[in-house]
Amino acid sequence: MSGRRVRAITRRLLQGFRRDRRTVALLFVAPIVILGLLGYLMRGSSNLPNVGIASQDSGPLGALVASSLKSSSHIHAVDINASDGDAKLKDGSIVAYILFPADFTRQAQSGSVAPDVHLEGSQPGEDSPVLQALQESMISLASQVAGRSVNFQPRVHHLYGGRNYDTLDYFGAAFVGLVVFFLVFVITIVSFLNERSQGTLERLMASPLRRGEIVLGYMLGFTVLALIQSAEVLVFALAVLKIHNQGNVLLIFGMEALMAIAAVNLGIFLSMFARSEFQAVQFIPLVVVPQVLLSGIIFPVSIEPTALQWLSDILPLTYAVNGMRDIMVKGADLTSSGLQLDAAVVAGFCILLIVAGTATLRRRLA
Amino acid sequence: MNDAYAVDVEEVFKSFGSFKALNGVTLRVRKGEIYGLLGPNGAGKTTLIRLICGLVEAHGGTVTVLGRRMPDIAVLRHIGYMTQQAALYPALSVEENVRFFAAINGAEDGVREALGLVQLWERRGSVVSTLSGGMRQRCSLACALVHRPELLLLDEPTVGIDPQLRVQFWDYFRRMAADGTTLVVSSHVMDEADRCQRLGLIQYGRLLAEGSPADIRAQGGSQNLEEAFLALAGRRES
Repeated sequence: MSGRRVRAITRRLLQGFRRDRRTVALLFVAPIVILGLLGYLMRGSSNLPNVGIASQDSGPLGALVASSLKSSSHIHAVDINASDGDAKLKDGSIVAYILFPADFTRQAQSGSVAPDVHLEGSQPGEDSPVLQALQESMISLASQVAGRSVNFQPRVHHLYGGRNYDTLDYFGAAFVGLVVFFLVFVITIVSFLNERSQGTLERLMASPLRRGEIVLGYMLGFTVLALIQSAEVLVFALAVLKIHNQGNVLLIFGMEALMAIAAVNLGIFLSMFARSEFQAVQFIPLVVVPQVLLSGIIFPVSIEPTALQWLSDILPLTYAVNGMRDIMVKGADLTSSGLQLDAAVVAGFCILLIVAGTATLRRRLA
Repeated sequence: MNDAYAVDVEEVFKSFGSFKALNGVTLRVRKGEIYGLLGPNGAGKTTLIRLICGLVEAHGGTVTVLGRRMPDIAVLRHIGYMTQQAALYPALSVEENVRFFAAINGAEDGVREALGLVQLWERRGSVVSTLSGGMRQRCSLACALVHRPELLLLDEPTVGIDPQLRVQFWDYFRRMAADGTTLVVSSHVMDEADRCQRLGLIQYGRLLAEGSPADIRAQGGSQNLEEAFLALAGRRES
């Protein structure tokens, strides 16, 4: 072992980075951006989940608990009519509503209350602040019922999902699409770069091929692979992992296919901005990580800080993830306007990228 | 535009940033001739070839190929272009590579003839990544000529290949020229210059001299082409 030779290798490595400013920037800027984003996402939000309160209590305690819920730091409580509750859950204006029955005060005085908690249930992470706020408001209730403890047993109902859904059921719907999107993106960007670095793209450009034909040919080729992969992922998710699915399997496959086509075109487009496979791989933390954080896979978009919600609203993965959950957890079909919007946005994004990829092809070659 | 010319380059300028790759080049290539583009590395030969096949656009001047102002995608069907590096798909076989370039030029029927010409028909099933450098160059040439182009642009086709194969390549070139194909061959190897019918000497993005090898010798005042070239280059600098 020669220290001098080892030093030579170390020096050579650092010298190379000195001239690759993009890699250096990625090395030192990306962690701050990603961690900063995560910090802002988790701590910077003043947006609380909207929760409806429907108090039918003929006594005073329902109103008391309701007012305690309205001052909660976990939720944003609004009064609603019990009959509107399910409609509001469906249209997404509230994530849950709590119903205090007409005999709620009497229940409390007899030592055991059972408010009805109706959860929308399609997104993980939205339930816990609701139950936490209710739990805390029960403490203020207990102090009003002197001399005895109050047993608190909420009856939880799920519009979607439910008790037999575990974490994988919620994340699985989003991940089925994400896995395909991510892998197809990486394979496409590296392959298209190979075309450039091995000189064949130059040859193609000196042939009668039109730019649109190159992009379309690539897109179709990778789409064939992506569709096979999508089918494999779907079968594994449903048959082996037994992720709950309320929707039509063909719709899931269709949404996966749209995500795959978007990933192919994103790969082709971004390959124009990389000069080597090394630089191409650097797009992963820049492109994929923020989308994973902001698309609602892990944190519901509705409780993100407002500025990040704007960002989430322009990211295609947000719509893709939403669409996958709509199909698999909510059982939505093509008559659902939400799913129509999700599919349309992802399809529109594909078209935008095809145009952008075609337009930048010659510029980067010269 | 005279119909006798396959390539007509008129007062062409091309810069990359502050670097002037071509600085007012004018040259004409007659149909059916082998035209040698000679000059040292970095002289502007590749840029000129890329301009001729429309891969880059000139900042000034005009490039006319087979009667059409470039860039014009319709002309590309009639051009064959062999890049400096053997630009092939390494995971495909020899035949698959040639067949692909035949397909994008609409000339699938030329595969056998092209592979026969470069003597790779017997090795058509070999995967390109397993081939030697010389075989890759031959395969690359087959890809460039599979659609029987009227104009064949060859960017340093004999770099890195052994003398025996170089002789073979020039044999192919002569046969194609005899069949009416126009060839533009760039090289910085002076002993190849004598095999061309006419030469253009390029340095610092300018055309120093143009003519048959005998003309160039006369202009440079030497029987040795290399010395003639150096004399012409020195004259221009002074």
